[in-house]
Amino acid sequence: MVTVTIDGKKIEVSEGTTVLRAAQSAGINIPTLCDHPYLTPYGGCRLCLVEVEGARTLQPSCTLPVSNNMVVKTDTQKVLDARKFVLTLIFSERNHFCPYCQVSGGDCELQNSAYHEGMTHWPLQPNWQPYPMDASHPYIILENNRCILCRRCVRACGELVGNYTLGFEERGANSLLVADTGVVLGESSCISCGTCVQVCPTGALIDRWSAYRGHDEQAIDTQTICVGCSIGCGINVFTRDNNLLRIDGNWDAPVNEGVICEIGRFKPMNEKCDRLVTPMIRKNGSLKATTWEEALKVTSSELKSHKGKKGDGIAAMISTRQSIETISHFKGLFSEGLGSELVTTTEEGAFTESAAKVAGSLGKAFEGKLIDMLDADSFMVLGTDLVKDHQVAGFFIKRVIGNGPRLLVLDAEENPLSLLANKALKNKKNTFEDAINALSAAVVKLGLTKEKTSIKATDLDGFATKTGLKSEDYLDAAYVIATQKPMIVYEKGVSAAALKDFAQLIGAKLISVKGKANSLAASQFGLEKPVKLGAHKALVVVLGDDEISQKMIKDFEKVPFKVVIASSSSALTAMADVVLPAANWLEQEGHYLSLDGRLQKANRCLTPATEVRSTDAILLALAETTGIKLNNDWTTELHHRVAATEIVN
Amino acid sequence: MGKPKVSSDWMAGCAGCHMSLLDMDERIAKIIELVDLRSTPITDLKVPDATGVDVGILEGGVNNTANEEVALRMRSRCKILVALGDCAVFGGVPAMRNFFTIEESLRRAYIETESTDDSGKIPNDPELCVPTKVRALQEVVPVDVFVPGCPPDADTIFYVLSELAQGRIPDMKGDKLDWH
Repeated sequence: MVTVTIDGKKIEVSEGTTVLRAAQSAGINIPTLCDHPYLTPYGGCRLCLVEVEGARTLQPSCTLPVSNNMVVKTDTQKVLDARKFVLTLIFSERNHFCPYCQVSGGDCELQNSAYHEGMTHWPLQPNWQPYPMDASHPYIILENNRCILCRRCVRACGELVGNYTLGFEERGANSLLVADTGVVLGESSCISCGTCVQVCPTGALIDRWSAYRGHDEQAIDTQTICVGCSIGCGINVFTRDNNLLRIDGNWDAPVNEGVICEIGRFKPMNEKCDRLVTPMIRKNGSLKATTWEEALKVTSSELKSHKGKKGDGIAAMISTRQSIETISHFKGLFSEGLGSELVTTTEEGAFTESAAKVAGSLGKAFEGKLIDMLDADSFMVLGTDLVKDHQVAGFFIKRVIGNGPRLLVLDAEENPLSLLANKALKNKKNTFEDAINALSAAVVKLGLTKEKTSIKATDLDGFATKTGLKSEDYLDAAYVIATQKPMIVYEKGVSAAALKDFAQLIGAKLISVKGKANSLAASQFGLEKPVKLGAHKALVVVLGDDEISQKMIKDFEKVPFKVVIASSSSALTAMADVVLPAANWLEQEGHYLSLDGRLQKANRCLTPATEVRSTDAILLALAETTGIKLNNDWTTELHHRVAATEIVN
Repeated sequence: MGKPKVSSDWMAGCAGCHMSLLDMDERIAKIIELVDLRSTPITDLKVPDATGVDVGILEGGVNNTANEEVALRMRSRCKILVALGDCAVFGGVPAMRNFFTIEESLRRAYIETESTDDSGKIPNDPELCVPTKVRALQEVVPVDVFVPGCPPDADTIFYVLSELAQGRIPDMKGDKLDWH
């Protein structure tokens, strides 16, 4: 610990702390522009200059580490004059037309800084040199005229997302934010995560959707979680007059620490769907609008007539994007209440069954946590595309491999992460188990094991051949992955049992990305049956705002009575006999269990249309009409069986 | 000492700042009590007294030689010069055309607009003023008080005028600062 005096206040901080952070920890405000708490200090804007006793010149507090007995002053006339001068230079460098800038009036850190320093005008006028504007990206607009060269976006793109798309070309006043080697954003390697927009202090990077639709102080900021996948990233949803304006990553969320992906940030705004706004019943061959009362009555009487029948009764399916409350009520209504045999999810347990079995036989959790990724020194990614789905997990890997950790990709399909891998193996389809055995044998052969195994080094050639790869490939791969703290990420199609043994062999942490937002919770409720419709007479699909495969829809055709609870019309609702309009994820609340067992609550951010109800409310109403009492306690059943990963609240 | 004399004029602006001045409603009567309002573009007398005024207020940027004349005349005839609004303070919306050459701007305005037919031509009468790059007022003459805003709030203008009327220089800070 070192002691530093800032504005006469004695502060004790750990060695290496910057003057800026030390001041902030003591509640002393030093204005900054290029600084961001989640990015490495850069020292670019010079707004945070402070006076340090004994130093010849003013020092940037964001990059200056404290030393013992340092005396710092942040509010002398010299400092205040310097701040004004720094802002004067920044304003004169580009073209900051406040009257028609989206962030002017409260959301611009540059403008706010100028107000803070009491600037009524620009002492130096800009020279009106125009800078390029780039509107080629589907979600993001880059306006170089408003850029202050703080490089927050560049650092976020590289340090947080690991994508390294953004960078600067030229020097000094000619510095220009560019993508890749100078292509437009829309044609660049940008993956549209929007983190750059979220960190931009000015209006240089704005998102098309929320631009000019209101300032932050006019919007309602609801803290919730994204249900786009099983990671469960913390997000801030900004709404105004019941309209969705913008979604930001929540910096305080331990899951993602501010970073989210395209699916979480931009997809919800750009979804083109035809919302259902009223219940409908099929009459004389076509769907007709009706009242909730009638729709529920028709559904309930038809379902009651199939109550308790096995094999030819009611089949019920729920999307794993639904909350635990809804899943629990769903199971209570159909499994216990109506005695259905086929009560499952639209995922049919494909993402979770194998891991659940292993956990069951072990009697304990065997998977690690997502956060372990930031600490791992090598990764093996098996059969999962982290660039397309569960993107934030991919960000974590991409973020750290630049600093040394190694990456092994093993996939039967093309895997975009292969480009960054130290070793990428493409095995024959359906040979993951052999591939894992081959890897084990390779590890044994190289003497890199941390546990005993029955697999022998001599088995390597045999297993390798089965996967269509060479033994040398596996030896290379073994060197990549057999490190101090390896981490294995896998998905469905890979046997958890085989993988668990291999993970033990090399002392690796293991994590499966699972399916949709509540994949793991559905597994805890035992909803894992494959859909075999056979002679079932009635089908209830609680789809909500999820999608379903064409193959499944085709299978459903033959069921005589079909009830669909969905948010928007689709091929599935078109063939239903009863359609009940449901809220989407932003319009309802409930709990979710993330892929690494974190129990989180999603909050309601928007009010649905008058006749639209939450999926949970629909199931409760259906139960009431049918005369079935549902249990509201879901916590017990959530812990009913051993989960693949430890469940934490 | 009599009431301070105040004059205003406008240049390359939209008259919005003067509209915002009128937005102070009945408070304008209070201002009239405190000051001797001489010339404004919205009253009969348009030109500030040759014998000088105490406070001169200018709205708009300087975008041609006629504006330059207005600016220089006001500066030479007033003790305290106020730049009213974003155009006078920064250049504002008119300054967007600084991204183009004057020829391009004139061609766009007089020939290429969607509502212009084939007979459109750039006016070239020698009596017309000559367009220049758009400048903030302070680039042409020294300015004493900056009142940014697009337009500045009526409350802000009231504050500025009442301070000046009472012989004080307004302190523009906090919620008085709004560049829009």
